[in-house]
Amino acid sequence: MNAARDLQPVHSQENRPKRNPFAFLEGWLYLLPSIILFGVFVFYPMFRSIYLSFFLADQMGPFEFVGLENYQYILGSDSFKSSVKATILFVLYTVPAGILLALFLALLTNEKMKGIGIFRTLFSSTMGMSVAASSVIWMFMYNPSIGVFSRVAELLGFPAIQWLQDPDYALLAVSLSTIWMNTGFAYLIILGGLQNIDTHLYENAKVAGVSYFYQLRRITLPMLSPTLFFIVTVSLINAFQTFGQIDILTKGGPVESTNVVVYSIYKDAFINNDVGAASAQAVILFFCVLLLTILQFKLGERKVHYQ
Amino acid sequence: MKRLLAGLSVLFVLFLAACSGTDSASGTTEGGKTEIIFWHAMGGELEASVNEIVDEYNSSQDKYTVEPVYQGSYEESLTKLKTVAGTADAPAVTQIFEAGTKQMIDSGNIQPVQKFIDEENYDTSQWEENISSYYQVDGEQYSMPFNSSTPVLVYNKDAFKEAGLDPEKAPRTYTELKEAAEKLTVKEGDKTTQYGLSILNYGWFFEELLATQGGMYVNNENGREGDATKAAFNDEKGQKVFELISEMYEAGTYYNSGQNWDDMRASFQTGTMAMMLDSSAGIKGLVDNADFEVGVAYLPHPDDVDPQGVIIGGASLWMAKDIDENQQQAAWDFMKYLSTAEVQAKWHVESGYFAINPAAYEEDIVKQEWEKYPQLKVTVDQLHDTIPSTATQGALISIFPEARQQIVTGMESLYQGEDPQAALDKAAVEVDTVLEKGSRSR
Repeated sequence: MNAARDLQPVHSQENRPKRNPFAFLEGWLYLLPSIILFGVFVFYPMFRSIYLSFFLADQMGPFEFVGLENYQYILGSDSFKSSVKATILFVLYTVPAGILLALFLALLTNEKMKGIGIFRTLFSSTMGMSVAASSVIWMFMYNPSIGVFSRVAELLGFPAIQWLQDPDYALLAVSLSTIWMNTGFAYLIILGGLQNIDTHLYENAKVAGVSYFYQLRRITLPMLSPTLFFIVTVSLINAFQTFGQIDILTKGGPVESTNVVVYSIYKDAFINNDVGAASAQAVILFFCVLLLTILQFKLGERKVHYQ
Repeated sequence: MKRLLAGLSVLFVLFLAACSGTDSASGTTEGGKTEIIFWHAMGGELEASVNEIVDEYNSSQDKYTVEPVYQGSYEESLTKLKTVAGTADAPAVTQIFEAGTKQMIDSGNIQPVQKFIDEENYDTSQWEENISSYYQVDGEQYSMPFNSSTPVLVYNKDAFKEAGLDPEKAPRTYTELKEAAEKLTVKEGDKTTQYGLSILNYGWFFEELLATQGGMYVNNENGREGDATKAAFNDEKGQKVFELISEMYEAGTYYNSGQNWDDMRASFQTGTMAMMLDSSAGIKGLVDNADFEVGVAYLPHPDDVDPQGVIIGGASLWMAKDIDENQQQAAWDFMKYLSTAEVQAKWHVESGYFAINPAAYEEDIVKQEWEKYPQLKVTVDQLHDTIPSTATQGALISIFPEARQQIVTGMESLYQGEDPQAALDKAAVEVDTVLEKGSRSR
C-alpha cells in the first residue's frame, strides 16, 4: 500500500475509480474490533437465547427440543402476566417523571450565574453512584424501623408505611429510587442539549420581548427535541432492563409485585435453573422493546426538529 | 499509521483469544505440594474465620495447600459451580447449601465422600448424626457436613417482664405463642409500637415449622424413597402454619418483616417486635448487639402434636469427581481436618454454627463461650432432641430454590388477606408444575 492512497478519504465516491479489494478489506479491518466485541457480547448471546428458547435447558446447555412449549408455558402463566404488568407500570412510573425532573433541573441550571457549577455537579452526581451502592442507601431509608421515611411520617403524624414489604407500595418505592438514580444521566444529556442551542435565538426572543414560557415552548423545546428524543429512547430501554435495584431492594417481591420481566428471567435462569423458559422470556422482551423502539422512531421522530 | 492500526487489531484479536484460554489454577503442584481450591460462601466476619482455619491447616502439614475463594451467596456459588463442574477447572472442594443437595447428587460431577470413608474405615459415628444424615442418601454419605444451623424462637426478655410474662418460660405451643404475642403487643392510640411475633418471609422457616409437626414437604417420604412428584405441604399441617401467621396478622400481633435477614434483626433490636424466628447462627450477633436481654427457645408447634425437632440448615462440603487422585486425597485430608473437635470448637464459637463433631462441645473454648452465651446451648439441645425421621431429615428435591419462592409468595399473600388454604394450594400447584418440569431434566 502506498502513501498517496493513505491520504485519500476512505468513503469518497468520486475519487474511487474502481473497487480496490484492499480498500474493502481495510474497511472491514477498521470494523473488526467492534464486530468482534458486538459479536461476542451481543449477537452470539442473542442468537443463543433464541436457540435455547426452543429447548428444555439448564445451565449446562440444552437437552431436549420442545418447540414452542416454553412460550406456551410462559404466556399461560399468571406469574409472567404479573411480570409484564409490573414492567409496564415501572416504565410508566420512572420514564416520564425522570425525564421531566431532569428537564426541570437542566432548565434551572442553564442560566449563567456565579456558583452554578456547584449545582450542576450536584444534580449530575447521581451518575457517579453505582446502582448497588445507591440501592443499599435507599434500602436503609425505606426501612420501617430505622429508615428516614418512617421517621418523617411519624413526625407528621402519618402511619409508617412498610414501603418495601407492602405490595401496594413496593413498586412505587423502587421506582422512586430509580428516578433518583437515573436523573443524573438524563440531566447531563439534557443540559448538554440546552447549551448547544444557538444563543442568537434567545437574543432575538429578548428583542421581541416574548414571555419565558413562550420562549420555552417555541425555541427551547423544539431545539432540544433531538436530545429529548434520544433520552426518551435510552431511558425507555433502560427502564425495561432494570435489574440491580430490584435485586437489592425487593428481590421481585412482595407477592411478585416488583417481579419485572428482567428479574423473572434472572430468577428462572440462575436460581430455578430453567434456562429454556428464561430464554423464551428474554426473546419476548427483546421483540417488545424492538417493536416499541420502531414505533417510537416512526411516530415520535416526526415531531423532532433537526437543525 | 495503517500498519500500526492493523497491528493493533491483530493484537486485539490475540488478546481476546487469550482471554478465552483457561488457566487451570486448581491442581498445580508447587514444590511437591498439591494445591487445591476451596470455594465457600461465607462472607463478612465468617470469611475471616474460614481463612484463619485454612491457614492453620496449611501450616499444620506440608503435603497439601488449600486456597479458599469466596464465591458470594450460596445461590451464587452454586450457579458458578454449575458452569465449571465436570471440567478440570472445578474446585476440589465446594461448600453447597442444604437446598442444593439434590442438584449436586443429580449433577454426576461429584465424588461421594463415602468412598474415602470406606477406604480408611473412617469413623463417622463421631459426627452429629442429625446433621450428617441430611447429606446421606440410600446409606451413602455424599458430602461432608460443615456448617449447620437450626431455627429457634428468639425473644426479648425485658419485654416479657414488662408484659408480665415469665422471661424464663418461652411459649412452646401455638396457643401459648398467640397469648404471649397478644400480651406483648403494645399500642399507642391506633399505632402499634411493639408487635408480638415476626417470621421472616423465607421458605426455610415454613419447612421447619412443618417438619417439627412431622409433616412432609413433598411426597415419596420427602423425596427420599424415590423422586418426589407432588408437593405435600398443603395438608393440614402446613395449613396450621399458614393459619397461625394469618390469624396473628389479622389480630395485629404479627409483624411482617419482609425478606431480608438484616432488616428483621434490626427490627427486633429496635423493639419493633418482641419475638421472632431466627437461625441459630445469628444468635451470637443478636446477643452482642441488643441492649436488652435476649432469650432463645425451641421452635413452637401446634397444641396437639409432639414436637419432632428440626431440620438442619446450613451447608456441606462436596468433592469434585473429575480431578486427579492427588487432589481428591488433599480434599479428603482437608475435610477430615475440618471435622476434628478442635477445629469444630473454634468454628462453633466464632460462627455460632453447630459443631458437626459433638466432641467439640467438651473443648474448653466452647465451655467458656457457653458460660458467656448460655443461649447457644439451647440451639444445640434442640438439635439433640430431634427425632430422626424423613420429616426431620428434610426434603430432597432439586427445585428447592423455586419451591421456596412459591412459599414466600404464599406467605406474602396472607398479609393481603388471602385465605391460608388457598394460598398454600396455589403454592402447591406451582411446585407440582416445577417438579414435573424438573423430572424431565437430564
